[in-house]
Parts: sequence; structure tokens; C-alpha cells
Amino acid sequence: MDVKIAYSPLNDAALLLVAEALGFYDSEGLNVTLSREANWSTIRDKLAYGLVDAAHILAPMPFAAALGQGPSMGRIIAPIALGANGNSVLVSAALKARLEENGHPARSLTGSARLLAREVDRRRKSGEGRLVFAIPFTYSPHHFVLRHWVASAGLDPERQIQWVVVPPSRMADMIKDGVVDGFCSGSPWPQTAQLKGRGEILFSDPDYWSLKPEKVLGVRSAWAEENPDAVIALVRALLRAGQWASRPGNHQDLVRILARRAYVGAPAEAIALALSEHGSGLVLDPETATYPWISHAKWFLGQMVKWGWLTAEHDFDQLARHIYRPDLWRIAASSLGLNCPIALEKEEGGHAQPWSLPAQPHDIAMPPNVLFDGGVFKCA
Amino acid sequence: MNVLIIDPDDARAASVAEGIRADHAGQDPSITIQPRFELRMLRDIDPDMVIIACESPDRDMLEALQVANESVPRPVVMFVDRSDANSTAKAVEAGVAAYIVDGFNPKRMSSVLTVAAQRFAMMQSLRNDLNKARADLAARKTIDRAKGILMKSRGLSEDEAYKLLRKHAMDTGRPIHAVAADILAVSDLLSPGGE
Repeated sequence: MDVKIAYSPLNDAALLLVAEALGFYDSEGLNVTLSREANWSTIRDKLAYGLVDAAHILAPMPFAAALGQGPSMGRIIAPIALGANGNSVLVSAALKARLEENGHPARSLTGSARLLAREVDRRRKSGEGRLVFAIPFTYSPHHFVLRHWVASAGLDPERQIQWVVVPPSRMADMIKDGVVDGFCSGSPWPQTAQLKGRGEILFSDPDYWSLKPEKVLGVRSAWAEENPDAVIALVRALLRAGQWASRPGNHQDLVRILARRAYVGAPAEAIALALSEHGSGLVLDPETATYPWISHAKWFLGQMVKWGWLTAEHDFDQLARHIYRPDLWRIAASSLGLNCPIALEKEEGGHAQPWSLPAQPHDIAMPPNVLFDGGVFKCA
Repeated sequence: MNVLIIDPDDARAASVAEGIRADHAGQDPSITIQPRFELRMLRDIDPDMVIIACESPDRDMLEALQVANESVPRPVVMFVDRSDANSTAKAVEAGVAAYIVDGFNPKRMSSVLTVAAQRFAMMQSLRNDLNKARADLAARKTIDRAKGILMKSRGLSEDEAYKLLRKHAMDTGRPIHAVAADILAVSDLLSPGGE
């Protein structure tokens, strides 16, 4: 069975890349051709026009497109999440120094947001322009994370911060040229920038939300309907890649695979830094980080309403269930003997300690699940 | 008509420009080629249409302007009229996308995009031919060197050496240049004085 899959060269494409490098697609009877893409718009268009069957996508993309925000991407389903976390926020040395004038910007986001608010105030009083933050795409978790962080100190992200969309490959130079003051990007770009002396990482995904949803595998719904067995085989291959990639003994090999020129193609040092203990917190474990929770889908939809891009007059429950497909994940995972969560939704946040998630045949030992502001997201 | 072409590949961009000029000769199109997109280009050049290579990471920057266009004078939007889905699909397949300002003539947009897609496809096919020619040349050199080793070590004529290589390739079901490459690799290991 031939399958064409597009991806963006980032550490969080790991499951797709490992499955190719270690032959998991082959052993599932799939002949996968990966295509490395330079931007999200092209990935969206290739899905829309059927030039690829599936792709590594930002989780909010199919929701935004389905709700008429931007061009169509066709009907998409997401049968598996490609892990949790993986992004970092880097600020220029100049902004970091300004923040430190008012106190130490520890990894606590509420603390650094307060320092940021003081700097915004100082700039306003001295007649300097707004701070400029770069994100890789409008409908991205990166955008939601930065807005939430900024707003937590009472700033209005719409009026008090200037947002620009910039490709991650250009962010480091824009920091150097003083065009942007900070950016949020997937790994290993922030680490690459920091190693080149283009600013400092202020915080990473787990500081914001210890188990933050990020990318999913977007599959063309029409293709999935015609090839139901191939969809399950594909999810199985990715789950197996996740099992391999989350074993500590395979860490060095994972770095080597990602660093290949044809894959992420970044310096191994930056990739290793992002995957290190205090890196960007990428979690690839199948049971804890790849189940496509309906509650994640609703959190993303909620963010779009919160920032005024959508009105609440949509059937979000139906939309979430049309796109996120935990039922397909369950078929694939149970065939591999993995434990499958019983629920489709859960409360997001509120677990400061490891906890036990009801699952079959055995409960899953979950890592903490907390948001930086202590908020708990409940599906109404 | 004022067109901005963003393509890191200048030869390809020049070919697209030439195609547009040939197609719209009477209208004297103004065409600017840039390897990268910068926001100020919208102000400085004020294009009606932007053509951008899909391999340019800058495409997401251009795309975002339809959402937040506060800092640009002229919003550029992606052409998503379904009646022209075909030319858009062909363009994406060839590796190029287009953005137009509101009110730009859809027929003209479609003809420009079709030309761009043809030029992109043509360049790709030229590159593929070139790569294949390079690979063929490299394979021939490998085969010649492997023949030389067989002639020297086993006292064969050139023709016999080639036949031996070909027979081995057929027996093992592999390309002849792969068999030749193996012989070269092994002969490096066996050659005396390697230390």
C-alpha cells in the first residue's frame, strides 16, 4: 500500500521519521514516501488537493480550516497525536536584560509575565514601540501559549504586543537584527538560536503546560475511508516508533536519526539539547502522549473563541469528534497490546502529581498534568 | 499588472518571468524577482499578484497577512475560488503558490499561475535529467574501475570482465553499478600496504 506523508523538519516529527528509519512502515505493509516541506501552508494545500494522504500538522490547523479560517484543507481526521510538548520561547539578550532589571525571570511563567508587563509599561511611557513576538503560523499552539502567558499578567495580547508570522529558519536572524524581541518555535530552532548566541530560552512547553498537545497526524478523510486498514497500519507503525523512541536506551540513536540531513537536518548538538532533561520536554510515549483526546480538540477550539477568531455559535462537540478519532487510535493500540484510555475526554490540568488514568486492560501511570496558572480546563 | 516572484532559485524565477512576459506581451507586465519575502516589499513594489515557490519557508509569512494585515498597506489574499481549483492544484503539484490582491482579474491570475506551474515543472524535469545524467556518469566510472580491477587480478579481457560483472548482477538481481561498487569497496580492503 503506497502512502504519501508530508512533514515539517522539527523534532516533533520524530514518530514519522523513526518509523521510516527503523522500518516500522515496511513491517506494517506500507510503502511510505515522506516529503519534507518548508512551510505549513504548503502542507495544508497538499492535503487539500490530495497530493499527500497524511501529514504532520499543527493540531489547530484542521479546526481553523473547518471553521472557514483561511483556505480549505479538505476534510481531515486526526487518528493519533504525534507526542506532547516540544516548543520553546526564546527572547533577545536585550529583552532578557530588561526583564532582569525588575527581578529574576525564573521559569515560573506568572513571574516572567509580570516582569514583561513592567517592560511593556516602561516602553509605553518612554514612547518606544510595542514588543514584537514571532510565531510560525497563526493557528498554532505557539500563538495560544504566548497569548495566554502575556495575558496572565493583565496585558492585552491584541493591542499591547505586535505579532508576526515568521518561518523558524529566519527567527534567529531577526532576533539578531532586532526586528523581533522574542519567538516561540518548535525544536530544535530555539536551541540552535541559543547555541549561536542569538538570545536565551525563557521557557519551554512543560513550563506552560506539563503535557501540552502540539502536533497530530492529519489524514485525508476521503483516503481514510477508502483505506481503513492502511489507517490502522499507519497508526500502529507510529505507536511502535513511539515505543522505541521513548525507551531511554535509544536516546542517542534518536538524536542521530533526527539529525540526518534528509530528516530534521539540524546540528545534533541542538537536537540533543532540546531532547535533554531541561530541554523542550518532548514526550513520545504512546500511552501518555499520543491518544487524540477530544478534550485537547476542545481546548484548541476554546482558544480560538477566547482570542476572538471564532464566535461560540458552532457545534464544537460534533466538530471535535469528527476530526479527532480516538476510536481509530484504540483499534491500533489494542492490537499492539497497549493500554487504552476508557474516556474520550478528561480534565486538562489539576494533576500536580503523577496519577492513574483509567484504561484497559490496565490503568495508565500518567505524568503530572498542570497548567502554569493552575487553571483546569473542563469540557462542558 | 505588477507581479512579485519569490523564489530562492533565481534561474527558475527568471524562467517564470520570461513566461509571463511572453504571455502578456501587450500589457507590459512589471515583474520583480526576490529570493526572500520581506514585508516592506508590499509597500515598495505594491504587487497585484505574488508568486511564491512552495519550497520558500517565507510562504507562511505571506499567508498570515490575510489574518493580521494591520502592518501592511495592501492585503494579499490567497486565491481559493473553487472554479480555478484545477490550476491551483496543478501549481501546488509543480511547487508554486499564488496570492493576489482583492479585485485582481481571476482569468488573468489563472493564466499567470498556469505559466508559473509549467515553468516550475519544466525546471524540475531539467534538474531530474541532469541528476540522472550525473548518476549515469558516476555509475559508468564505477563500472570502468571495477572492470580494471577484474582485468588485473584475474587476467581477463575488458569484455570478459564486463560479462562477469553483468552475470553477477543478473544472478543477484542487483544493478551492475552496485556490484561494481562492492568490488571497489572490497578491493580497497584487500589492497596491500593499506596501513
